[in-house]
Amino acid sequence: MAHIDASEVLAHADGLYNFARWLCADAAEAEDLVQETYARALASAHQFQPGTSLRAWLFRILRNAFLDRRRRAAPTISGEEPSDDVLGDVSTDELGQEQVRRLVAADVAAAVHDLREPFRTVVLLDMEGFTDAESANILGCSEGTVKSRLSRARARLRSQLAAYGPRP
Amino acid sequence: MTCDTARGLILDAIRGRLPDASARELRQHLETCAACRAFEASERALSEALDTKLPQYAAPLALKRRLQGIWPHAAAPVRARRWSSPLARMAAVAAAVAVVAGGAGSVLATRSAERERLAGESVNDHLRLLAGAPLATVTGGLHEVKPWFGGKLDFAPSLRFAGDEDFPLLGGAVERFLDRPAAVFVFQRRLHKVSLFVMSLPGLDFPLRPTSRPVRGFNVVLWQANDQGYALVSDLNLDELLQLQKRIATAGP
Repeated sequence: MAHIDASEVLAHADGLYNFARWLCADAAEAEDLVQETYARALASAHQFQPGTSLRAWLFRILRNAFLDRRRRAAPTISGEEPSDDVLGDVSTDELGQEQVRRLVAADVAAAVHDLREPFRTVVLLDMEGFTDAESANILGCSEGTVKSRLSRARARLRSQLAAYGPRP
Repeated sequence: MTCDTARGLILDAIRGRLPDASARELRQHLETCAACRAFEASERALSEALDTKLPQYAAPLALKRRLQGIWPHAAAPVRARRWSSPLARMAAVAAAVAVVAGGAGSVLATRSAERERLAGESVNDHLRLLAGAPLATVTGGLHEVKPWFGGKLDFAPSLRFAGDEDFPLLGGAVERFLDRPAAVFVFQRRLHKVSLFVMSLPGLDFPLRPTSRPVRGFNVVLWQANDQGYALVSDLNLDELLQLQKRIATAGP
């Protein structure tokens, strides 16, 4: 019988923690979430399919653990996945290279934080290098939903960040 | 190709995930459509902003130790693995060798360890300054501190932020940072001291975009610019430390 080696799973700790930090309200909650992710992964390691992406599997467990926590925190709110029309108004302002040069980390962080969670999540998974199909697998939704959310989230980010800097 | 179709393909094209035929068709469309070219430029600008400026958080060492405790080294059983190809088998052997050799077995882990080392050294040097290492006189501000470094460093530290009423500049010093001398600029925020270490970059893995991590109760922000590495460290809260980082990174001449 083969095993998931400790070094294999622990190598993903930084990526998972970064993902958790962008999902959670603070660092302490993010640490709890990553710890819960590893505990869940260990408990269900027998379900992991060799040959599939261990990283994607861990990200899926973390996202599900996050949603479970949110449901427990707000049990009266139903429907975790908002429809794709709730991102808010997106202006048609576009982003230029000169504006990017003037942006700093806090600007970009604020714009990402402003996104609603499902939209923020697809942006983060895209940045992690997951394909739309992998993100769909992690989120348990269709690839079309991922594409649509990513497109709308990026439109929102372009508009938000364009507002921080001078017009080209 | 319509504009709607083209815009749906642009991100995949930027990611290099578009099949050749679609990429060719998209290029042809972009050559003739100024609006879609502007859209593509904006998408590229956003990708650059996210890739280079969105802060990344590394897992704290204490968390990693707890995770090691959760995941037994005897490892968790999974279904028997069947290597699908000789290449996969070779990769597995290489991974096993890396583990046996004592390394974490991944570029990610190596890079993370290097960043931990940089952040840890920043905190150590910050503590040395707090313990009373002498600062250069700063009665004239940055234009007096920078010449003071002349002859003490083999590079000219690139810093334009001279301090302001929120973060006054207290002084400068030279500290040993790992294997090289670094310029240190000390700022103040209320009762908190903030040290900025600036050093030549070669051989050190400073992140391209500002990356923060907590180390022993201090916050550390690392980044690189102008072929120099920057480490900002303080017991100040991270939000205010990032405010200072922003001012340092964006100060004009």
